[in-house]
Amino acid sequence: MHPQTELLQTATRRHFLQQSSAGIGGLALAGLLGDSTSAATKPVDPLAPKQPHFPAKAKQVIYLHLTGSPPHLDLFDYKPELVKHNDKDCPNEYLEGQRFAFTSGVPKLMGTPRKFEQHGDGGVWLSDAVPHFHKVADDLCVIRSMTTDQFNHAPAELLVYTGSPRSGRPSLGTWVTYGLGTENENLPGFVVLISSGVQPNGGKNSFGSGFLPSVYQGVQCRSKGDPVLYASDPQGMNRTMRRLSLDALRDLNQLQADELGHPETLTRIAQYELAFRMQMSVPEVMNMNDEPKHIIDNYGAKPGESSFANNCLLARRLVENGVRYVQLFDWGWDFHGTGAGTGLMSGLTNKCATMDKPIAALINDLKQRGMYEETLIVIGGEFGRTPFREGRTAKSKVLGRDHYPDCYSMVLAGGPVQGGTMYGESDELGFRVARDKVHVHDLQATILHTLGFDHERLTFRFQGRDYRLTDVHGEVVNGVLA
Amino acid sequence: MIGPHELMKEHKWGLQIRALSLIRAVTFFAVTFFVICCCMPSAEQAAEPTKPPAYNHDIRPILAEKCFRCHGADSAAREADLRLDQRKSAVVSRAVVPGKPDGSELLRRVTSTDPDKRMPPADTQLTLNDREKELLKSWIADGAEYQEHWSFVRPLKTPLPQIERAEWPHNAIDHFVGARLQEEGLAPSGEASRRALVRRLSLDITGLPPRLEEVAAFVADGSDEAYKKVVDRLLKSSRYGEHMARYWLDAARYADSNGYQYDTERTMWPWRDWVIRAFNNNMPFDQFTIEQLAGDLLPNATNQQRLATGFNRNHPITIEGGVIDEEYRTEYVIDRITTTSTVWMGLAMGCARCHDHKFDPLTRVDFYSFFAFFNNVPERGNSGFAPKQKAPTFEQEQELADIATQLAAIDKTLEAIADQVAEQQAQWEATASKRVRQQWQILSPTEMASSGGSTLTLLDDQSVLASGAKPSNDDYELTFALSNPKITAIRLEAITHESLPHKGAGRAFNSNFVLSEFEAAVVENGASDKPVPIKLASVSADYSQKNYEVARSIDSNLGTGWAVDGPTRKENATAVYLLAVPLALPAESILKVTMRHRFGSTHSIGRFRISVTDDPSFNLPADVAQALAVAEAKRTNEQLSALREYFIGHIAEGEVGRAGRRRAELQGRRSQIESSFPETLVMAEMAKPRETFMLIRGQYDKKGEKVTAATPTFLPSPPGGEKIDRLALARWLVSRDHPLTARVYVNRLWQQLFGIGIVRTVEDLGTQGEWPTHQEMLDWLAVDFMESGWDVKHIVKTIVMSSTYRQSSIVTPQLLKRDPENRLLARGARSRLPAEMVRDNALAVSDLLVEKVGGPSVYPYQPPGLWLEINNRPNYSKAYPTGKGDDLYRRSLYTFWKRTVPHPAMAAFDSADREICTVRRSRTNTPLQALVMLNDPQFVEAAKHLAERMIVEGGDGLANQIGRGMEIVLSRPPTGAELEELSAYYRIEHGLFREDSTAAERLLSVGESARNQDLDLTDHAAMTSVARLLLNLNEAITRQ
Repeated sequence: MHPQTELLQTATRRHFLQQSSAGIGGLALAGLLGDSTSAATKPVDPLAPKQPHFPAKAKQVIYLHLTGSPPHLDLFDYKPELVKHNDKDCPNEYLEGQRFAFTSGVPKLMGTPRKFEQHGDGGVWLSDAVPHFHKVADDLCVIRSMTTDQFNHAPAELLVYTGSPRSGRPSLGTWVTYGLGTENENLPGFVVLISSGVQPNGGKNSFGSGFLPSVYQGVQCRSKGDPVLYASDPQGMNRTMRRLSLDALRDLNQLQADELGHPETLTRIAQYELAFRMQMSVPEVMNMNDEPKHIIDNYGAKPGESSFANNCLLARRLVENGVRYVQLFDWGWDFHGTGAGTGLMSGLTNKCATMDKPIAALINDLKQRGMYEETLIVIGGEFGRTPFREGRTAKSKVLGRDHYPDCYSMVLAGGPVQGGTMYGESDELGFRVARDKVHVHDLQATILHTLGFDHERLTFRFQGRDYRLTDVHGEVVNGVLA
Repeated sequence: MIGPHELMKEHKWGLQIRALSLIRAVTFFAVTFFVICCCMPSAEQAAEPTKPPAYNHDIRPILAEKCFRCHGADSAAREADLRLDQRKSAVVSRAVVPGKPDGSELLRRVTSTDPDKRMPPADTQLTLNDREKELLKSWIADGAEYQEHWSFVRPLKTPLPQIERAEWPHNAIDHFVGARLQEEGLAPSGEASRRALVRRLSLDITGLPPRLEEVAAFVADGSDEAYKKVVDRLLKSSRYGEHMARYWLDAARYADSNGYQYDTERTMWPWRDWVIRAFNNNMPFDQFTIEQLAGDLLPNATNQQRLATGFNRNHPITIEGGVIDEEYRTEYVIDRITTTSTVWMGLAMGCARCHDHKFDPLTRVDFYSFFAFFNNVPERGNSGFAPKQKAPTFEQEQELADIATQLAAIDKTLEAIADQVAEQQAQWEATASKRVRQQWQILSPTEMASSGGSTLTLLDDQSVLASGAKPSNDDYELTFALSNPKITAIRLEAITHESLPHKGAGRAFNSNFVLSEFEAAVVENGASDKPVPIKLASVSADYSQKNYEVARSIDSNLGTGWAVDGPTRKENATAVYLLAVPLALPAESILKVTMRHRFGSTHSIGRFRISVTDDPSFNLPADVAQALAVAEAKRTNEQLSALREYFIGHIAEGEVGRAGRRRAELQGRRSQIESSFPETLVMAEMAKPRETFMLIRGQYDKKGEKVTAATPTFLPSPPGGEKIDRLALARWLVSRDHPLTARVYVNRLWQQLFGIGIVRTVEDLGTQGEWPTHQEMLDWLAVDFMESGWDVKHIVKTIVMSSTYRQSSIVTPQLLKRDPENRLLARGARSRLPAEMVRDNALAVSDLLVEKVGGPSVYPYQPPGLWLEINNRPNYSKAYPTGKGDDLYRRSLYTFWKRTVPHPAMAAFDSADREICTVRRSRTNTPLQALVMLNDPQFVEAAKHLAERMIVEGGDGLANQIGRGMEIVLSRPPTGAELEELSAYYRIEHGLFREDSTAAERLLSVGESARNQDLDLTDHAAMTSVARLLLNLNEAITRQ
């Protein structure tokens, strides 16, 4: 993949040639080698827009991560049998050989205390905790057969975003940016928006570049303070002076480049120009004051504050301006029931109110702008929650569930997705996948597939091995795609 | 105010600027963005092989890439039972028939047009190109000789190749480089200018730019030794150790926080300081290796040697509730393997965690045998901070040594006047002991109560005995009528009794007790009935159990208390509580004493007695008072020593007193230092090692066969007869026979000095790593390194003394095209400074840099709110505590490294993430870097002070001042064009700031440090703009 960028860090000649024969990035390669007069001295832009392996179904991804993992059995996966067996001892067959984060002994099964109904033409089951999803039910594809290998937050989240439960690998957004480049050279190619005050469990590794060049890492944009760090001029300097200083700087650097003949000085000049434009364009795109009031109200956004609703609206503005991958992280979905805020009744109602309305608004907004067809939206946590009550809070009035990796739900939306459908199924009590298992690696393969990538061919050579997001696993889940 | 464009028109250089703009418009399309410097095809690509194909150089790369996955060392992945990585197997199976390409199945398969027969199979996405097929054919025709991988064979010094330019070589390096250039038909570049050389050397050896006088001195020094003198001076600077350590910290994944999502703080900076000192003292690399990997296992290991083992405790540690301990502990062990194998052997051992290495001859058994070396740390997965060690820092160790010397001198003095001491002491003892014996008034309780229902009985000696119920916890409340209402201290005696368990003093089954809290209160006659608490200032006891010191009985914490080693020591114990303020009460007042026992399991005092004293001068420590109370002849050695110490330190007069007072002061300082030793994470070995098992698919809970510690079998074995432990491993790594260690480290030093290693993949010298550009040179240097006694400074010096290093980095378009990455070394190296150096450089040229070595990490400026914005875990997280004063201007290696939120300015310049071992950073060129350089207060403040230097040191006239700035920042004077450009820019800025003095004020108030008020505001602001420009020049952040 993209030999010119490959060479940034670790490529060997063998790899270079092998990749050229694979055809991907062939155009850029021709640009690098074909023009014999400039080939060696001409710098190559690692973020130039690139074509994927095959025609893409989606141009961009908005990934909405609900950090901590929402209780899917109280939102998306209705289990009447579990309700029937509420408060009975959890059958031993589900406990043997299993380990849970905060539960030991024999816990009690817990049917959902929420009301479920089918919605839309597709009859998608949804609980009363997500009323705004009811109206967009026919846009949603609920995967009820997700499974992962990890049951603690940090490793599970790293598995979702980097394909490995351990830190050090490139993240999903990084792979996408590495593969696609960016459409708007005035903005970062991969933007991260964080709400509710805490970064993801996997830390910056969840949007880091790992061993890929750092140009591909997620850039966190902020709705408070500088939208991008260090974007404000020093006090006492204004835009005019900034322009003046850049002009003079450019001339001085140019004099050096002419004298010493080092092409990277020219690159440095270009970076300062781009920084100048980013100082304009990032605050512009991050400033939602120019949005009509009804749009802001639809999302439930509040300009000047930091919230998931704001971030959903910002995500739309970013993809509208050519950002290929926008990653949201919203903290506070770890529904253990250790307090009312993480309980399945009022706690879940309140938390969902901050989430379903803006997501529904985002879906409608993208549709109105004709961008829905080419946008993939992914919604979910890093694992699921147990069909039984969590051990620590078993005697509390507040209901909560423990971490559960074996079977859970995620929601997809957007043009490439078959809306109004439910994919896969859990067993009667929700402990195991009954059919059409979707592993995290399969989801990753599917996301890359919608963007036009063969996940087995989007690779990077590091420490003598071709690494990829899906490690040595992953199969595209065609059943969720339109 | 006039607009900028109008100003431009007036400016006489406007025309040239517009002309430049035109050039710019052209280059604008040619140059694209986010470009990384090293993005050109590698040098060897141009060089076509002229020799017959050699297995290592030409064939193995093809087979490794295309065939070994299924026909290599990994037995589990092997297809058709065919191995191509061993000649015997390849030949026996007739895949390779030496001399007969047409009869070789290998060649038939790779050239087949039948998709079912063609290798590699279509689903692997791998194909061989014509050149590769051709190489295989000619290699088989030549006899298909296999070779061992170059780096797995012991390095040897080959004879130096002679080259035509006999005058060029300065040392061995130049013979190798020169020979290769000759082969390629290239000539070396001329020597760089003196200014360029001294700047290059300073940046490379110390990480800081040269001072003006250092540049001037070198330029003026016409002697033959001039260059060498600079090198020697720089190698002696303590900046050298800091600079070298910075690279080592990346490799060691050093950080000041624990990582994972809570990312709490840890104290590892003493280890970091150990590294700096080791480099500054030029500790031989073999010793450096042994102490870091196994310092704890050395015979009579010193504190510093144990401290050094922090190297392998630098990995992240989780505190997440609910994690499985063993899973994380396993991760820590694997982190050590990955780090150790990368840092010393340049091998990616991690691959063998799940399967035999596909390319290198490293098996899973090798991996888990290596695992066994690091598997015996007495540690946990969750919150696995132990083992830790309190160890003095270097400074503390020095101060302690100094104190020891002084104390020895004082003791000598005291020894000389021993008679005088003894005489004075005897006099004091006589009166003091009399007083002590008389002073205590034993009290008899009027009321006794036990909260736990124990029976309290008053005995004849007025002591109280507990019996009956055995409550887990028990509070005694005692009331005393005071006949003499003056009190300065209260004494509690815990007394043994035959009715108590094992005839001790405590009620616990093991005869211990824990007095959680001792409280006293008075009810003043005539006042209300409500007891008024008495404040107890201090307490001493004649005996306390470790971690149950008597002071814990007045710490207002029921979770701690005083205990006396009851299980082993069945003796009386006495505690004396001193009142903060002496009491003087009306007659018939009442004293109430509460003794709280909350340890559980009846850890109550079994028999006790309370006394008080009114001695106004009572201030003796309990042990001294105790000793004085004992008849002289019966005093124990400890008691005698306590008396002597106390007398000399506090009572003695005259010469003895002076010496004694100084002695006590020094002893006080010593215990103060000893109690403030920082505690860092260290390695330790369990007495009984853990059993190590192969882990199936690398999973902690899927145990396979048992293995024992061993080094990888494809490498030379350690000497027999030795115990195979971490120490043996460390010694093996630095043994003369080890083919990798010296090569790996020399290669990294080369990378440090030339930007790219002789083997570019410094982390991988195995079969998948890049082939060295100058293998004989790397081997020569590796051998030289070992022969020099692993002398790091010697190797650094050897490299920088070479003609190769001294070449000019100016490049012609032809050479740039021929060798864009400078792998052939026909010119000097050139690269953007690493993150830390970018900042340090700005601090140095603005004279802000505080050159203090070591100490706790510091907190320079960073955008407000960042820590809590990204990592906000209530009760675990805190806001970034921005430093003050000197802490803002320390070298960047001292900046607090928080793993989840590393300093954003460093991250923008590609600092490593310190999550895992990093021996090669990426080097990018991004707009975020421009934003940091332009807008980070650290750089703006630096510009402010650089401007001061320019004005003050530059003297009269703008040209002089700007010239001074260029000299400071770039170590060279400006060219005419540069001077004109900067002067014009200065005048424009001057005009703008003259119009807007508030803007000038605001600009000059960036940063904590004050501006030089003697300077004219407008001049200073305009010059700050110029200085900011200088700091932002590409040349300013480039080593060339």
